[in-house]
Amino acid sequence: MNILIGTVLLVGLALWLWRQLPDGDARERARTEVKRLAVFILPRITVALIGAALFAELLPAERVRELFGSGSGVTGLALAVLLGPLTPGGPFVCFAVAAAGLQVGASSAAVLAYVTAWSLFSATKVLAYEMPLMGQSFVLKRLILSLPIPFFVAMGAALLR
Amino acid sequence: MTPRIDSGFLFLIGATIAAAVLVALQSGPGHALQTALGALGFLAVLLPKIGAGVVIAATIPVLIPRERISTWIGRESGVKGLAAATIAGALLPGGPSMAYPLTASLLVSGADLGASLAFVTGWSLFNLNRTLIWELSFLPYDFVAVRVGLALLTPILVGMLARAIWKPT
Repeated sequence: MNILIGTVLLVGLALWLWRQLPDGDARERARTEVKRLAVFILPRITVALIGAALFAELLPAERVRELFGSGSGVTGLALAVLLGPLTPGGPFVCFAVAAAGLQVGASSAAVLAYVTAWSLFSATKVLAYEMPLMGQSFVLKRLILSLPIPFFVAMGAALLR
Repeated sequence: MTPRIDSGFLFLIGATIAAAVLVALQSGPGHALQTALGALGFLAVLLPKIGAGVVIAATIPVLIPRERISTWIGRESGVKGLAAATIAGALLPGGPSMAYPLTASLLVSGADLGASLAFVTGWSLFNLNRTLIWELSFLPYDFVAVRVGLALLTPILVGMLARAIWKPT
């Protein structure tokens, strides 16, 4: 989908949701939240976009294509799934790396596997929050049952192409 | 209150500065500057989209309060309950410091393992804030659509498998 159509749809959805706010009090609370989110997001997204463009310059394109290109098969996917959880920092780091990877020729299947594995198994999240709050048994059960998901998404995407 | 500067942001700043220095050494400072300015131009194109994402992410929690979202989990049984838990996970605003304490309290108040896993998996995969604001800013729409479309039913499957394997006693 073209970036313009996507933006128009998102802006439309935002306007529609805003009109659903029942009263002035709700609008005030939403406005406060917009400010809080914007203050958090704008500096990070600015730095991350610059970072992503610079990372793409530095990534050895040939090596990336070799490891994660469309010919890399299941080994490439497995490596991408392994790298996902090891990504430090917040979502901006993961998505900046993913964008740089796509730009220099990693296959979308490998990048999907990376992003999905990070979403599900980010080590920061699992070790700092999930282990202490949910306990080992819950975490292990979740990890075992969700391990196939990044592979399933990547292979599904490869078949769709 | 979210801190303005946290370790994740510091890491990002450090990595970006390191990358800028390396690009400058590799292809000259002019090229590094050009690359950074190009990214800023891209940011200008993205701003309306980011703005819309922020408004959506700010409005939904006001329209559907967190307390209401948590009542969706564990109320319905069967596949319907798992679907409700997945949707609740996707709509829950906030990061892990919000999601896991909520899951823990749901388990204590009687939600089963299947629904709790579907909730955490749905939150991990589809978290609206992250998808709308971050993912859509960096990655193409069709990429995000394929990811969400293919993963859509997986939290329900995880919940069903958990219920089949670890039967509640």
